Amino acid sequence: MRPSNQHLKIAVCILAGIAASGCVTSRVEDARVSETGIAAGEAVVVMAKSYHLGNETEEKYIRCVEKALTNGKNGLRVIPHRSFVDSLFPWFEPRTAPSETKHLPKLMANPGVLERIAEQKVRYLIWLDGDTERVAGGGSLSCAAGPGGGGCFGFAWWQNDADYQASVWDLDELESAGTVTTDVSGTSFLPALVIPIPLIARPQTKACKALAGQLQQFIGSDEATDSAADGADDTA
Amino acid sequence: MACWLTGCGSNVVLEPPTIPVPLTDKIPASVGLRMPEEFDHFVHEEEIIGREQWSIDLGRSNASLFEQLFGYMFEKVTILRADDDPQQFAMDALIEPSIEAFEFSVPNQSKTEAFAVWIRYRIRVFDDEGDLVANWPVSAYGKSETESVSGTQALQRAAVLAMRDAAALMIMKLDDATGISKIAQAKLAMSDSGAASQAEEIEHATE
Repeated sequence: MRPSNQHLKIAVCILAGIAASGCVTSRVEDARVSETGIAAGEAVVVMAKSYHLGNETEEKYIRCVEKALTNGKNGLRVIPHRSFVDSLFPWFEPRTAPSETKHLPKLMANPGVLERIAEQKVRYLIWLDGDTERVAGGGSLSCAAGPGGGGCFGFAWWQNDADYQASVWDLDELESAGTVTTDVSGTSFLPALVIPIPLIARPQTKACKALAGQLQQFIGSDEATDSAADGADDTA
Repeated sequence: MACWLTGCGSNVVLEPPTIPVPLTDKIPASVGLRMPEEFDHFVHEEEIIGREQWSIDLGRSNASLFEQLFGYMFEKVTILRADDDPQQFAMDALIEPSIEAFEFSVPNQSKTEAFAVWIRYRIRVFDDEGDLVANWPVSAYGKSETESVSGTQALQRAAVLAMRDAAALMIMKLDDATGISKIAQAKLAMSDSGAASQAEEIEHATE
């Protein structure tokens, strides 16, 4: 008996629902060094640590964090990193950007730097470090097509880890405010019995939202707990 | 299949980059800038064996980079043509940049999602007597991840980032590496002392 059109539609909907996510586990932590807080009108800038130092943070991840930080009731004002870097040329280029807070006083002493940062009301610099990479995978999947039709058979899986660290620098105090880290592991599956059914995990997107949410709390709150670490585990 | 038989490739054309106005003090010197002809039209081709052929046309990006950069860096810049005689112009030093090497890598080679561009410029500086006083290599690097199938935008961006990297390095180190401001100061001191001794001579003569 051939399935009716309605049964087919239901099956497609169920598959689409399952395909929306694979298996994801995540952990977000912060370590506060000093008090934080942000006044109305003050802004943050999200930057990647220099690729001259071997950092591989993806441009699309930076844009994702920038966008996510502006969302919600704790949304922050975010200056796009490219316009910030242009406005302070050449002091935040990959070659010249400060790598530690101890370099900030010297940087601020350069002509126009302090004024340009004050004009934009930038209170915090958030330096991102880390990347998303495939750490494991396996299985096999083969597809074939002939005059009577085609199909796939097999099972494949892969695991991507998205590990990022955000270092928050307070430009008023010229010191580090602390760090927020996120480790997200996502396993995707691709079983195929004639039709492949992708169960895709998106750890990078999860890491972006988790990091941005924690950064909003970290910057917005003024709880000072020396070297304290607040952790949160989540499995989806 | 078509790519496998004929080899895939891309031609990338770069628009001249815009270098932001740097937040630095100008070097108090008057310089001449003479650029090689290749700065007006530089094309680099690279074949990834058995895979694809890439060509990047920088057009006048290099000329534009140095015109903007030195305009921001020095108090006065005179652009010289190849056949101009520098002795005919009043300047403290003549700067001749050239491009020594240009390389890039595509994601297939680096096993990442990034295009990378390396550029090595050479900066030669001559004093007003025409003597070579500095010969400085400038190595720059730019990297950009691909977010589209063709990757041409990522290669363009990597090339622009490499040029900005070179610009940043020159802003930070050119004066220390070539001593142009010292040449200008020495020339100024010489002309001041020359003027002073001339004034003294005139004073003695009138006495």
